[in-house]
Amino acid sequence: MGPTLEDGLRALREAAEQAPSIRIDLDDAYLRAIALLEALPCNQSGADKSWVWRSDRAFRETYRRARLKR
Amino acid sequence: MGVGGANFYARDPATVFLTEDRDLFLPLDPDNLVRCWAACEAAGLDLWIADEPLDIPRDRWLAERIVERRALTRATGTGELLVDLSLVMKGFDFETVWSDRRTFIVDGVDIPVARLLHIVTSKHAAGRDKDRLFLATHKEALEGLLKREDVD
Repeated sequence: MGPTLEDGLRALREAAEQAPSIRIDLDDAYLRAIALLEALPCNQSGADKSWVWRSDRAFRETYRRARLKR
Repeated sequence: MGVGGANFYARDPATVFLTEDRDLFLPLDPDNLVRCWAACEAAGLDLWIADEPLDIPRDRWLAERIVERRALTRATGTGELLVDLSLVMKGFDFETVWSDRRTFIVDGVDIPVARLLHIVTSKHAAGRDKDRLFLATHKEALEGLLKREDVD
């Protein structure tokens, strides 16, 4: 038997319960990764980021059109 | 300056995060807030405060009260457009974020975006459950990026 709606809701409840216990440090590795990302040529002022919004729009549209088949 | 802002720094669609709203960080300037509300109205957006329609007239007097309270107003449009007009970014003042901003282009329109470092640091300082979940996922995505960079 496949996962049920209750399985999905339970997974969401568990994720919500775990959230308060998550501790993320802004450690050297994380800050280094951010610096690397910020330094990329594609992330400098003037870069065309139209694809970011297109991607977001397409994602929402996909789920808006989704219908339960059975 | 929220998750939507962080998305501008993503390298590919696989590391774009879905967010319900878009955050617009505004200075503590009542006149600017009035202009912002007017621009939203001109674009056909509805304005809200705490789930109630924003009072009319939307003038300087009202904007001063909103700025005093650092209250959030929200603009909504057709579909799922939801824009939070925020006067607060935890851990930062507007001038710092604005002076270090980057300007990206979307469909020919300039979009000023906070530095990724500022966005992440602010979310870390805010420490809400949804911020923690975002940081956990974002950090993992960046670690994946670093591994790819090492390989490339």
